[in-house]
Amino acid sequence: MVKRAVTMKRRRPEVTSHRHEAGRCLHILRELSAFIDDELSGDICGEIRRHLGACPRCEEFVASLRQTVSLCRRSPAPVLSQNDRARMRAKILAAARAR
Amino acid sequence: MAPLRQSSSSDSHPASTRGEADTFDTLYRNNIDVMYRYASRLCGETEAAKDLVQETFLNAYRGFKNFRGEAQISTWLYTIASRICLRMRRRRKGAPERELSLDEFIPTSDGEFRLQIPVEGLSPEEALHNKQLREALDTAIGKLPKKYKMALVLRDMEGLSAKEVGAIMGLNERAVKSRLHRARLFVRRELSARGLAEDTASHQDKSIT
Repeated sequence: MVKRAVTMKRRRPEVTSHRHEAGRCLHILRELSAFIDDELSGDICGEIRRHLGACPRCEEFVASLRQTVSLCRRSPAPVLSQNDRARMRAKILAAARAR
Repeated sequence: MAPLRQSSSSDSHPASTRGEADTFDTLYRNNIDVMYRYASRLCGETEAAKDLVQETFLNAYRGFKNFRGEAQISTWLYTIASRICLRMRRRRKGAPERELSLDEFIPTSDGEFRLQIPVEGLSPEEALHNKQLREALDTAIGKLPKKYKMALVLRDMEGLSAKEVGAIMGLNERAVKSRLHRARLFVRRELSARGLAEDTASHQDKSIT
């Protein structure tokens, strides 16, 4: 009985530390948008930064997510021509008055 | 924005009709560009965007007397456009409406973690001028189910706050952020997967237009 308890004690840290690491990555991934948008408290931000420093794959993930957001933010705005603007105004007013 | 005059009476006196027309013109002039931009980003094609804009302003014209001025005019118009867009029949392309589960974006392999957007060696400006990448971005956004697309477009492209997006979509901020996160993860995966496919095919054609 005593011997068995000792064996378990010896094995457990290995298993939990592995699970803990995977869980940490998933936890971080869930928070990445809030992290990018600077919406997290200083504590959590610090924790994520430390994790990113130590986990290259999460660091690469966040880099590509940042690029995605940056592309969206800088995406050019479609513009309407003067003619289309006037034509649409006329159509809307005609439709409004038709009723 | 210049304050809009509300028509003073609800009867059909000619003066009030004239007032309505003036009010509409101000509303239209001040907001048409923003609404067209929003509609284009939601619809992804010119004709559908124009339909959405016309429908939005027609609704605004008819409903202006109900506008209480508690919200900004632009927020009110965004709300009208968003509702109409959700009602519009899905035309030819586009993904079926579905929920995006966070789990589907959790990488299961090292390779998935490391997917990168093909912007290597390009500055952010250059990346945007890269025609292929811009088209890939439009395609990826076009594939998003509408309610996720709306959150992404309003927040990341129109630049509204999560609170404003919530007011427009009738959601709390938490729900907005959750949709936004999933939408971004979706677009990231689409762009990265595309980059990966291109990388394996060849490295040529990185033309900057």
